[in-house]
Amino acid sequence: MKDLKHVRNFCIIAHIDHGKSTLADRLIEMTGTVSKRDMQDQILDSMDLEREKGITIKLAPTRLIYDYEGEEYVLNLIDTPGHVDFSYEVSRSLAACEGALLLVDASQGVEAQTLANAYLAIDNNLEIVPVINKIDLPSARVEEVKAEIEEVLGLDAANCPCVSAKEGINIDQVLKAIIEKIPSPKGDAKEPLKALIFDSHYDNFKGAICLIRVFDGQVKAGDKILMMQTGKVFDVTEVGIFVPSTKEAPLLSAGDVGYIAASIKTISDVKVGDTVTLAENSVKAALPGYKEVQPVVFCGIFTVDGAKYGELKDALEKLKLNDASLQFMPEVSSALGFGFRCGFLGLLHLEIITERLEREFDLDIITTAPSVSYKVHKTSGEVLEVSNPSNLPPQVEISYIEEPIVKTSIFTPPEYVGAIMELCQDKRGIYKDMQYLDKKRVELTYIMPLGEIIYDFFDSLKSRTKGYASFDYEFSGFERSELVKVDLLLNGEKCDALSLIVHKDKAYTRGRELTERLKKIIPRQLFEVPIQACIGGKIIARETISAMRKDVLAKCYGGDITRKRKLLEKQKEGKKRMRKIGSVEIPSEAFMSILKLDDGK
Amino acid sequence: MHNTPDIESERAMKEEISIYIHIPFCESKCCYCAFNSFCATKEEQDEYINLLLGEIAKRSKAAVGKVVKSIYIGGGTPSVLDEVQFAKIAHAIFDNFDVYDNAEFTVEANPNSITEEKLACWKSLRVNRISIGVQSLNDRSLKKIGRLHTKQMALEKIKLVRKTFDNVSCDLIVGLEGDNGKTLSGYAKTLLSLGIKHISCYLLEVYDNVPLGTMVKNGKYIPLSDERTIAAFEKLSNYLQDNGMTRYEISNFAFPGYESRHNLNYWQRGEYLGFGISAHSFVDGRRTENAATISDYAKGKITEEILSPREIDEEIIMLGLRCNLGFDITQLQVIDLQKNAFFKDYLQQGILQQQGNLVKLNPMFYRISNTIISNLF
Repeated sequence: MKDLKHVRNFCIIAHIDHGKSTLADRLIEMTGTVSKRDMQDQILDSMDLEREKGITIKLAPTRLIYDYEGEEYVLNLIDTPGHVDFSYEVSRSLAACEGALLLVDASQGVEAQTLANAYLAIDNNLEIVPVINKIDLPSARVEEVKAEIEEVLGLDAANCPCVSAKEGINIDQVLKAIIEKIPSPKGDAKEPLKALIFDSHYDNFKGAICLIRVFDGQVKAGDKILMMQTGKVFDVTEVGIFVPSTKEAPLLSAGDVGYIAASIKTISDVKVGDTVTLAENSVKAALPGYKEVQPVVFCGIFTVDGAKYGELKDALEKLKLNDASLQFMPEVSSALGFGFRCGFLGLLHLEIITERLEREFDLDIITTAPSVSYKVHKTSGEVLEVSNPSNLPPQVEISYIEEPIVKTSIFTPPEYVGAIMELCQDKRGIYKDMQYLDKKRVELTYIMPLGEIIYDFFDSLKSRTKGYASFDYEFSGFERSELVKVDLLLNGEKCDALSLIVHKDKAYTRGRELTERLKKIIPRQLFEVPIQACIGGKIIARETISAMRKDVLAKCYGGDITRKRKLLEKQKEGKKRMRKIGSVEIPSEAFMSILKLDDGK
Repeated sequence: MHNTPDIESERAMKEEISIYIHIPFCESKCCYCAFNSFCATKEEQDEYINLLLGEIAKRSKAAVGKVVKSIYIGGGTPSVLDEVQFAKIAHAIFDNFDVYDNAEFTVEANPNSITEEKLACWKSLRVNRISIGVQSLNDRSLKKIGRLHTKQMALEKIKLVRKTFDNVSCDLIVGLEGDNGKTLSGYAKTLLSLGIKHISCYLLEVYDNVPLGTMVKNGKYIPLSDERTIAAFEKLSNYLQDNGMTRYEISNFAFPGYESRHNLNYWQRGEYLGFGISAHSFVDGRRTENAATISDYAKGKITEEILSPREIDEEIIMLGLRCNLGFDITQLQVIDLQKNAFFKDYLQQGILQQQGNLVKLNPMFYRISNTIISNLF
C-alpha cells in the first residue's frame, strides 16, 4: 500500500512560449525518468505539429520519481497547453491535480494567459507555486516580475524558484517547492472506486484509452467498471502509468494518475469529465466533472475528392476521441458537396484540426471561412442558431439577429496602446478599461463581437505590436446587431460556400475586398467569368476573371509523346486542389481566404 | 499520294511502322532553338553517321515483319548533309527495312543549304516530300532570330524545290516580333502561290536558357503577347482554311491528301523507330528514348518506359484531341469520361464534340487544349 503523503499531482500552467515544455523536460531529466539517451527536446509534445509550432496541444501526463531528504516521492506531472484556444484542456488538467506551477517568463512578465490560467487554478482550489523562468536571459527582470506576480495575481512570489529551464539552473528548487508546497492527494484506497477521466485517446489495438486520476478506491485488470455519465459497463483489460510512455501496472489506487484500457470500441462511450467507478461497488455521487466546452468558431470541412466523405467522417470521429471539444455534424453545400460543419474553440484549434486531418489521415480537404454562431430571431417568434451563413433565412423572415460578444483583455507595452485602440475600434470594439500593471505593461479591456476577433484580429494585433501584445477573451453573451449576409456569385451562380455574415456598415467594403481577392486567387478560366458580391438581390461589387488566352503544346519533338503526356499530367496534378463550381474552377484556398482580406494591402 | 488513313484502317494495318532519323547538325544555331542540335565539322558528322548506320543495322530486328510506311529525316538541319552522307543513310534504311514503294519520305531542309544537286540526290533516293524551315518572310524578323536566309532566298529555294517535288511543306512561326494576322496571312498567300501543299504553324516558345530568352529578358526582343499571338494564329488559320486547306492537327494545315502520314502516325499511336541522339521510338507498346549526347548514344544508352493502362488512355485522349479526327472513346480502358464533370461540361459548352464514338476538340479551343486535355486525365 502506497503512502499518499509521498505523492504529488501537479501541472504546469503558463502563457504560451514561457517555457512550459522545456521545464517539463528538465524535471523528467532530473528525476531520471527518461535516460539522456532517449531524451528528445519537448518530450511530452508527441505530435509533430506540437513540436513544429512549439506549442502543447494535448495533455501529456508522466510519473516522476524523486528522492527528497531520503524519502522517495512520486510526482505526477500533467503538462498543459498554453494557447487561449485550449484553456478547456487546462481546466481538465487542473481537476486532476492538487497544485500548479505557474511559470512566468522573467523578461516578458505576466501575460494574458498567465492571468487567465492562474484564475482557473484559483477557481479549482489549487495550490499555486509561481516559478520564474528564463533568468539566464540578459533581459530578465526577476525582481520586477516577482512584483508583478504579487500585484496582479496576489500570489506570494518572494521565495519562489527562479530558474532557467533551458540551462537547467535551479531545477532542484522547483522539485523542492512541489514537495513542500503542494499538498498530497487525499483519498481512501478502501473506498469504492472514484476516478475522473481527464483525457482519452484511441489506440488501434487496445481501443479507447482513458486517462484517469483516481480519487478513491482502486482499479485493476479484470475489474468491471461503470462510466457514470454514459451508464456503460466495461471489463478492464489493462491499467498502467505514464513514464512517459505507457507502462502496465498491477493496479491504480487513490491518488494515482494513470490509464485504463477496457476494449472500448465505440469512441462516444468515453466522455472526458466522466467518473469511473466499479460496476458492483459503485459510488453514489459522481465527481463534478467539467463544464461542457462550447465551440465558438465554425467552418465547413469538405474533401477535395467528394468520394472521400466516408474517410473524413472516420477521421473526425477519431480526432473527436482525443478532443472532446471538437464538434461536427453533416452539411451539404451545393458548391462543395457533402461535408461537415465543425465547431472549434478558436482559430488555432481549427488550424490544428485541419492540419491533422491532412497529415495524419492523408486527406485533401477544403475548409470554408470561419464563422461564429448567430442567434436569429424570426418574425414568427422562432429563434435559430446559425453558424453557417448559407442557412440564414431570407431577410424578410428575420426580425433581428444577435451576435456573440466577448470581453477581451490585451496586455501590451504602453507604446502600442494607440495602435491597439485603433484596431479595436475598427473591429467594433467598445472600450471598457485600461490599467497600468507597471511602467511597462498595460492591460486594455474591450467588449468586442467575436466575429471580428476571428476575422483577422490576432494577425493584425501581432503586426501592429511587433508581437509584444498578448490577448485573451471570454464569452460575455449575445447582443443585437445590424448584420447582413453577403453572397458571392460566380458566373451568375451563387456559391454558398463563399457567403458570409457581416455588419451592414462593413458589407460594401468586405464585398469589394472579397471580389478583388477572388479575382487574384482564381486563375483564368476558359470563358470570362464575372465575380459579384451581393446583398439580397443587390449587386454591391463586381470583378471579372478574364478568359484564358493560350495554353497549348504546339511543337512535336520528333515523336516525344512522353514529354507531352507528363507535362499534362503535371498540369493536372497542379490542379488537384481546385474545386469545380458550376463551370468555374476555384483553388480550395479561396474558401479560407475570405478571412485574410488584409493580405497584400 | 495516300488519302488520310482513318482510325479504323490504321488499326487494320497494324504491321506498319515509321522511321525517324535525327540529324542534329545545323549551320548555325537559331536564337529560339531548344532542340538537340549544334554545329559540327564534316569529320564529326561522318562519325555520327557511322554510329547511326550501326544503330539502324542493330535495331532493325524490331521491325521484322513490319512494313515501313513513312520515313522522316529531321533535325537539326538534315539538308546540311552532303549527297554521299545522305545516300549512306538512305541506303541503310532500304537495306535494313521493308519499305512500301509509295512510302512517304520526308527531308527537312533550310533554304540556305538547299542545292539543285542535293534535290536530285534526294529524288533519286525516293524522297518525295520536303519540309522547308521558312519560319517568316520578313527579313528583319529572320535576321533577329538568327536565321541564315532572307525572304528572297527562301522564295528562290522554294521554287527550286517545287521543280523537283510536288509535296512541299513550309514551317511558319507565329508570335515573332512585328507580326500580326495580316503579315502572317501575307506569308501564307505567297507560299500558296508557289504551290506549297502543307504548312505547319508553330507558336513561338521562348525558353529562358536560349539566347532569345535573354533577349526577351533584356527587352531586346519583344515577342507578341499571348493575346496577339492567338489572334494572329486565328487569322492565319482562317486564311489557310478559306483557301482550301484543312487544319488536320493543332499546328498543321494541308490540302486534301497532303497530310503528313508520318506525323499522323505519331498522333494515332502508330509504331515508329527513331534513330540518332534524342530520338524516340514506340514499338510493341514500349516508348524508348535514345541518349541526348553523342558519347552516351555511342554507348547505346536508352531509357525505356512501359505505359500503364491509364497512361495509354491519357495518350489516346491527348493525341486524339490534337487532330481533326478525334479519338474513339471505346478505346479507353481505364478512364471513364462519363464520370468526369469536365467532360460533360465541355460537351455541353461545345468545347468537345461527339459523333458516335468519336470525340473531337472544337478547333476554336485548340489554343487552350492543355487545360482541356489535362482535365480529362
